[in-house]
Amino acid sequence: MNDPIKPDDIDPVIHERVRLAIVSALAVAPEMSFNDLKSTLGLSDGNLSAHATSLQMAGYIEIAKTFKGRRPYTTMRLTAVGREAFRRYVETLRKMIEKGAEAMDEPK
Amino acid sequence: MDHGEAQARMQEIQRIMERATLWTILPGTSAILGGLMVLGGCLVSFLLFHSVDYPSFAPIDFASLLDLSLNGQIAFCVMWFLIGVGGLVAEIHFAQLQAKRQGISPKGRSAKLAFFSLTPGVVVAMVLTIKFLAPTVMRPQEIQYIAPVWMMLYGTGVYTAGLFSVRAPRTLGKAFIAAGVTSISFLQQYGIITVALSFGLFHIAFGLYVIHRRRAGSST
Repeated sequence: MNDPIKPDDIDPVIHERVRLAIVSALAVAPEMSFNDLKSTLGLSDGNLSAHATSLQMAGYIEIAKTFKGRRPYTTMRLTAVGREAFRRYVETLRKMIEKGAEAMDEPK
Repeated sequence: MDHGEAQARMQEIQRIMERATLWTILPGTSAILGGLMVLGGCLVSFLLFHSVDYPSFAPIDFASLLDLSLNGQIAFCVMWFLIGVGGLVAEIHFAQLQAKRQGISPKGRSAKLAFFSLTPGVVVAMVLTIKFLAPTVMRPQEIQYIAPVWMMLYGTGVYTAGLFSVRAPRTLGKAFIAAGVTSISFLQQYGIITVALSFGLFHIAFGLYVIHRRRAGSST
Protein backbone atom coordinates (compact mmCIF):
# COMPACT_ATOMS: atom_id res chain seq x y z
CA MET A 1 0.00 0.00 0.00
CA ASN A 2 2.79 2.43 0.91
CA ASP A 3 5.21 1.31 -1.81
CA PRO A 4 6.89 4.27 -3.46
CA ILE A 5 5.68 4.98 -7.00
CA LYS A 6 8.49 4.53 -9.49
CA PRO A 7 8.46 6.05 -12.99
CA ASP A 8 8.44 2.49 -14.36
CA ASP A 9 5.05 1.92 -12.71
CA ILE A 10 3.43 4.14 -15.32
CA ASP A 11 2.84 2.07 -18.42
CA PRO A 12 3.84 4.30 -21.39
CA VAL A 13 1.56 2.40 -23.77
CA ILE A 14 -1.60 3.10 -21.75
CA HIS A 15 -0.45 6.48 -20.46
CA GLU A 16 -1.03 8.13 -23.85
CA ARG A 17 -4.46 9.82 -23.71
CA VAL A 18 -6.13 8.27 -26.76
CA ARG A 19 -4.84 4.79 -25.95
CA LEU A 20 -6.03 5.19 -22.36
CA ALA A 21 -9.46 6.17 -23.69
CA ILE A 22 -9.61 3.11 -25.95
CA VAL A 23 -8.60 0.76 -23.15
CA SER A 24 -11.05 2.42 -20.70
CA ALA A 25 -13.96 1.96 -23.10
CA LEU A 26 -13.01 -1.65 -23.81
CA ALA A 27 -12.71 -2.33 -20.10
CA VAL A 28 -16.49 -1.79 -19.80
CA ALA A 29 -17.76 -3.48 -22.96
CA PRO A 30 -16.44 -6.96 -23.75
CA GLU A 31 -16.27 -6.04 -27.42
CA MET A 32 -16.81 -2.86 -29.40
CA SER A 33 -16.91 -2.21 -33.11
CA PHE A 34 -14.59 0.33 -34.69
CA ASN A 35 -17.52 2.70 -35.29
CA ASP A 36 -18.85 2.37 -31.75
CA LEU A 37 -15.45 3.25 -30.36
CA LYS A 38 -15.12 6.14 -32.79
CA SER A 39 -18.52 7.51 -31.70
CA THR A 40 -17.88 6.98 -28.02
CA LEU A 41 -14.47 8.61 -28.02
CA GLY A 42 -15.07 11.23 -30.73
CA LEU A 43 -11.98 10.18 -32.70
CA SER A 44 -11.17 10.27 -36.39
CA ASP A 45 -10.70 7.03 -38.34
CA GLY A 46 -6.96 7.58 -38.69
CA ASN A 47 -6.39 8.48 -35.06
CA LEU A 48 -8.32 5.50 -33.73
CA SER A 49 -6.73 3.17 -36.24
CA ALA A 50 -3.16 4.25 -35.42
CA HIS A 51 -3.58 3.99 -31.65
CA ALA A 52 -5.49 0.71 -31.88
CA THR A 53 -2.60 -0.74 -33.87
CA SER A 54 -0.14 0.36 -31.16
CA LEU A 55 -2.28 -1.32 -28.52
CA GLN A 56 -2.54 -4.45 -30.63
CA MET A 57 1.24 -4.57 -31.07
CA ALA A 58 1.64 -4.29 -27.31
CA GLY A 59 -0.72 -7.26 -26.97
CA TYR A 60 -3.30 -5.21 -25.06
CA ILE A 61 -6.17 -5.52 -27.52
CA GLU A 62 -7.29 -7.96 -30.18
CA ILE A 63 -8.60 -6.62 -33.48
CA ALA A 64 -10.87 -8.90 -35.47
CA LYS A 65 -11.69 -8.01 -39.05
CA THR A 66 -14.70 -9.77 -40.55
CA PHE A 67 -17.51 -8.93 -42.95
CA LYS A 68 -21.16 -8.17 -42.33
CA GLY A 69 -22.70 -8.70 -45.71
CA ARG A 70 -20.30 -6.94 -48.05
CA ARG A 71 -19.08 -4.42 -45.52
CA PRO A 72 -15.93 -4.84 -43.48
CA TYR A 73 -16.66 -5.14 -39.78
CA THR A 74 -13.89 -4.50 -37.30
CA THR A 75 -14.24 -5.27 -33.62
CA MET A 76 -11.84 -4.77 -30.75
CA ARG A 77 -11.59 -6.42 -27.38
CA LEU A 78 -9.25 -6.14 -24.44
CA THR A 79 -6.91 -9.10 -23.92
CA ALA A 80 -6.09 -10.51 -20.48
CA VAL A 81 -2.71 -8.75 -20.70
CA GLY A 82 -4.44 -5.48 -21.56
CA ARG A 83 -6.92 -5.84 -18.73
CA GLU A 84 -4.12 -6.49 -16.25
CA ALA A 85 -2.14 -3.49 -17.59
CA PHE A 86 -5.23 -1.29 -17.23
CA ARG A 87 -5.82 -2.56 -13.69
CA ARG A 88 -2.20 -1.79 -12.76
CA TYR A 89 -2.40 1.67 -14.33
CA VAL A 90 -5.60 2.52 -12.41
CA GLU A 91 -3.99 1.19 -9.22
CA THR A 92 -0.98 3.45 -9.80
CA LEU A 93 -3.26 6.44 -10.29
CA ARG A 94 -5.14 5.55 -7.12
CA LYS A 95 -1.90 5.37 -5.13
CA MET A 96 -0.77 8.75 -6.47
CA ILE A 97 -4.10 10.32 -5.52
CA GLU A 98 -3.89 8.83 -2.01
CA LYS A 99 -0.31 10.03 -1.57
CA GLY A 100 -1.30 13.51 -2.74
CA ALA A 101 -4.20 13.56 -0.28
CA GLU A 102 -1.89 12.41 2.54
CA ALA A 103 0.63 15.11 1.65
CA MET A 104 -2.09 17.75 1.85
CA ASP A 105 -3.26 16.46 5.25
CA GLU A 106 0.25 16.59 6.76
CA PRO A 107 0.79 19.56 9.12
CA LYS A 108 3.23 22.12 7.76
CA MET B 1 2.74 12.84 -13.32
CA ASP B 2 1.59 14.67 -10.18
CA HIS B 3 -1.39 14.18 -7.87
CA GLY B 4 -3.61 16.61 -9.82
CA GLU B 5 -2.95 14.93 -13.15
CA ALA B 6 -3.58 11.51 -11.63
CA GLN B 7 -6.95 12.77 -10.40
CA ALA B 8 -7.78 14.26 -13.81
CA ARG B 9 -6.84 10.98 -15.51
CA MET B 10 -9.01 8.99 -13.11
CA GLN B 11 -12.00 11.27 -13.83
CA GLU B 12 -11.37 10.93 -17.57
CA ILE B 13 -11.33 7.13 -17.29
CA GLN B 14 -14.60 7.21 -15.34
CA ARG B 15 -16.21 9.54 -17.91
CA ILE B 16 -15.19 7.33 -20.84
CA MET B 17 -16.39 4.18 -19.12
CA GLU B 18 -19.77 5.81 -18.51
CA ARG B 19 -20.06 6.93 -22.13
CA ALA B 20 -19.08 3.48 -23.38
CA THR B 21 -21.69 1.84 -21.15
CA LEU B 22 -24.50 4.10 -22.32
CA TRP B 23 -23.63 3.88 -26.00
CA THR B 24 -23.39 0.12 -25.77
CA ILE B 25 -26.86 -0.30 -24.26
CA LEU B 26 -28.56 2.35 -26.41
CA PRO B 27 -31.42 0.42 -28.07
CA GLY B 28 -32.22 1.33 -31.66
CA THR B 29 -35.10 -1.14 -31.92
CA SER B 30 -37.15 0.45 -29.15
CA ALA B 31 -36.73 3.90 -30.71
CA ILE B 32 -38.13 2.54 -34.00
CA LEU B 33 -40.95 0.74 -32.18
CA GLY B 34 -41.78 3.90 -30.21
CA GLY B 35 -41.77 5.96 -33.41
CA LEU B 36 -44.09 3.50 -35.14
CA MET B 37 -46.48 3.51 -32.17
CA VAL B 38 -46.59 7.32 -32.31
CA LEU B 39 -47.29 7.27 -36.05
CA GLY B 40 -50.11 4.79 -35.39
CA GLY B 41 -51.44 7.07 -32.63
CA CYS B 42 -51.36 10.05 -34.97
CA LEU B 43 -53.25 8.10 -37.63
CA VAL B 44 -55.93 6.94 -35.15
CA SER B 45 -56.24 10.51 -33.79
CA PHE B 46 -56.67 11.85 -37.32
CA LEU B 47 -59.35 9.26 -38.13
CA LEU B 48 -61.10 9.99 -34.83
CA PHE B 49 -61.13 13.74 -35.48
CA HIS B 50 -62.08 13.18 -39.10
CA SER B 51 -65.17 11.21 -38.09
CA VAL B 52 -66.77 14.23 -36.37
CA ASP B 53 -69.88 15.42 -38.22
CA TYR B 54 -69.63 19.17 -37.71
CA PRO B 55 -66.01 19.85 -36.80
CA SER B 56 -64.89 23.20 -35.37
CA PHE B 57 -61.23 22.43 -36.02
CA ALA B 58 -59.20 20.75 -38.75
CA PRO B 59 -58.61 17.01 -38.15
CA ILE B 60 -54.83 17.60 -37.87
CA ASP B 61 -55.38 19.95 -34.91
CA PHE B 62 -55.36 18.42 -31.42
CA ALA B 63 -57.96 21.04 -30.45
CA SER B 64 -60.37 18.76 -32.35
CA LEU B 65 -60.44 16.84 -29.08
CA LEU B 66 -63.10 19.40 -28.07
CA ASP B 67 -65.34 18.13 -30.89
CA LEU B 68 -65.29 14.56 -29.57
CA SER B 69 -67.82 13.03 -27.21
CA LEU B 70 -66.71 12.39 -23.62
CA ASN B 71 -66.07 8.73 -24.46
CA GLY B 72 -64.04 9.76 -27.50
CA GLN B 73 -61.99 12.14 -25.36
CA ILE B 74 -61.32 9.44 -22.78
CA ALA B 75 -60.36 6.91 -25.49
CA PHE B 76 -58.01 9.51 -27.03
CA CYS B 77 -56.28 10.19 -23.69
CA VAL B 78 -56.01 6.48 -22.80
CA MET B 79 -54.52 5.69 -26.21
CA TRP B 80 -51.78 8.32 -25.89
CA PHE B 81 -51.11 7.28 -22.29
CA LEU B 82 -50.65 3.66 -23.44
CA ILE B 83 -48.37 4.76 -26.27
CA GLY B 84 -46.21 6.63 -23.75
CA VAL B 85 -46.08 3.70 -21.32
CA GLY B 86 -45.51 1.23 -24.19
CA GLY B 87 -42.58 3.31 -25.47
CA LEU B 88 -41.04 3.47 -22.01
CA VAL B 89 -41.46 -0.28 -21.39
CA ALA B 90 -39.93 -1.09 -24.80
CA GLU B 91 -37.01 1.24 -24.08
CA ILE B 92 -36.24 -0.39 -20.72
CA HIS B 93 -36.75 -3.92 -22.06
CA PHE B 94 -34.49 -3.51 -25.08
CA ALA B 95 -31.82 -1.63 -23.08
CA GLN B 96 -31.73 -4.54 -20.63
CA LEU B 97 -31.53 -7.07 -23.47
CA GLN B 98 -28.72 -5.13 -25.11
CA ALA B 99 -26.85 -4.83 -21.81
CA LYS B 100 -27.26 -8.55 -21.15
CA ARG B 101 -25.98 -9.35 -24.63
CA GLN B 102 -22.94 -7.15 -24.01
CA GLY B 103 -22.39 -8.54 -20.53
CA ILE B 104 -22.66 -5.17 -18.77
CA SER B 105 -24.92 -3.83 -16.05
CA PRO B 106 -27.91 -1.80 -17.26
CA LYS B 107 -28.21 -0.28 -13.81
CA GLY B 108 -24.79 1.36 -13.75
CA ARG B 109 -24.15 4.94 -12.65
CA SER B 110 -24.30 6.32 -16.19
CA ALA B 111 -27.63 4.63 -16.98
CA LYS B 112 -29.05 6.03 -13.74
CA LEU B 113 -27.73 9.51 -14.56
CA ALA B 114 -29.34 9.34 -17.99
CA PHE B 115 -32.63 8.10 -16.52
CA PHE B 116 -32.73 10.82 -13.87
CA SER B 117 -31.88 13.46 -16.49
CA LEU B 118 -34.85 12.46 -18.59
CA THR B 119 -37.37 12.03 -15.76
CA PRO B 120 -37.90 15.65 -14.58
CA GLY B 121 -38.83 16.90 -18.05
CA VAL B 122 -41.29 14.05 -18.57
CA VAL B 123 -42.87 14.60 -15.13
CA VAL B 124 -43.25 18.33 -15.77
CA ALA B 125 -44.80 17.59 -19.19
CA MET B 126 -47.25 15.19 -17.54
CA VAL B 127 -48.22 17.78 -14.90
CA LEU B 128 -48.75 20.44 -17.59
CA THR B 129 -50.81 18.02 -19.70
CA ILE B 130 -53.09 17.29 -16.75
CA LYS B 131 -53.31 21.02 -16.03
CA PHE B 132 -54.23 21.77 -19.67
CA LEU B 133 -56.84 19.01 -19.84
CA ALA B 134 -58.27 19.40 -16.33
CA PRO B 135 -60.50 22.53 -16.61
CA THR B 136 -64.24 21.92 -16.86
CA VAL B 137 -64.24 24.00 -20.01
CA MET B 138 -61.15 23.06 -22.04
CA ARG B 139 -59.69 25.80 -24.17
CA PRO B 140 -58.35 25.01 -27.67
CA GLN B 141 -55.12 26.97 -27.23
CA GLU B 142 -54.17 25.04 -24.10
CA ILE B 143 -54.76 21.73 -25.86
CA GLN B 144 -52.63 22.95 -28.76
CA TYR B 145 -49.80 23.66 -26.29
CA ILE B 146 -49.60 20.06 -25.11
CA ALA B 147 -47.68 18.66 -28.11
CA PRO B 148 -45.01 21.41 -28.27
CA VAL B 149 -44.59 21.34 -24.48
CA TRP B 150 -43.88 17.59 -24.69
CA MET B 151 -41.44 18.12 -27.55
CA MET B 152 -39.48 20.80 -25.71
CA LEU B 153 -39.39 19.08 -22.30
CA TYR B 154 -38.68 15.63 -23.72
CA GLY B 155 -36.00 17.18 -25.95
CA THR B 156 -34.41 18.88 -22.94
CA GLY B 157 -34.39 15.56 -21.07
CA VAL B 158 -32.89 13.64 -24.00
CA TYR B 159 -30.25 16.35 -24.50
CA THR B 160 -29.28 16.28 -20.82
CA ALA B 161 -29.22 12.47 -20.78
CA GLY B 162 -26.97 12.64 -23.84
CA LEU B 163 -24.41 14.63 -21.86
CA PHE B 164 -23.46 11.32 -20.23
CA SER B 165 -23.20 9.53 -23.56
CA VAL B 166 -22.25 10.19 -27.15
CA ARG B 167 -23.37 12.96 -29.52
CA ALA B 168 -26.33 11.17 -31.15
CA PRO B 169 -28.84 11.57 -28.24
CA ARG B 170 -27.82 15.21 -27.82
CA THR B 171 -28.58 15.81 -31.50
CA LEU B 172 -31.96 14.10 -31.06
CA GLY B 173 -32.66 16.30 -28.02
CA LYS B 174 -31.81 19.46 -29.94
CA ALA B 175 -34.04 18.37 -32.83
CA PHE B 176 -36.97 17.91 -30.41
CA ILE B 177 -36.40 21.32 -28.81
CA ALA B 178 -36.25 22.97 -32.26
CA ALA B 179 -39.43 21.13 -33.32
CA GLY B 180 -41.17 22.22 -30.10
CA VAL B 181 -40.17 25.87 -30.50
CA THR B 182 -41.28 25.90 -34.15
CA SER B 183 -44.51 24.12 -33.28
CA ILE B 184 -45.48 26.44 -30.41
CA SER B 185 -44.54 29.53 -32.43
CA PHE B 186 -46.02 28.80 -35.84
CA LEU B 187 -47.62 25.37 -36.12
CA GLN B 188 -49.99 25.06 -33.16
CA GLN B 189 -52.86 24.00 -35.39
CA TYR B 190 -50.85 21.23 -37.03
CA GLY B 191 -50.32 19.15 -33.88
CA ILE B 192 -50.80 15.74 -35.45
CA ILE B 193 -48.29 16.47 -38.19
CA THR B 194 -45.65 17.90 -35.84
CA VAL B 195 -46.04 14.99 -33.41
CA ALA B 196 -45.79 12.48 -36.28
CA LEU B 197 -42.65 14.24 -37.50
CA SER B 198 -40.96 14.57 -34.12
CA PHE B 199 -42.01 11.71 -31.83
CA GLY B 200 -42.64 9.48 -34.85
CA LEU B 201 -40.03 10.11 -37.52
CA PHE B 202 -37.25 11.53 -35.31
CA HIS B 203 -37.38 8.36 -33.19
CA ILE B 204 -37.40 6.10 -36.24
CA ALA B 205 -34.48 8.00 -37.79
CA PHE B 206 -32.57 7.82 -34.50
CA GLY B 207 -33.22 4.10 -34.13
CA LEU B 208 -32.09 3.42 -37.69
CA TYR B 209 -28.96 5.48 -37.09
CA VAL B 210 -28.08 3.54 -33.92
CA ILE B 211 -28.67 0.20 -35.65
CA HIS B 212 -26.72 1.30 -38.70
CA ARG B 213 -23.76 2.48 -36.60
CA ARG B 214 -23.74 -0.77 -34.70
CA ARG B 215 -23.95 -2.94 -37.81
CA ALA B 216 -21.70 -0.84 -39.98
CA GLY B 217 -18.17 -1.94 -39.48
CA SER B 218 -15.23 0.29 -40.13
CA SER B 219 -13.01 1.93 -42.61
CA THR B 220 -9.87 0.18 -41.44
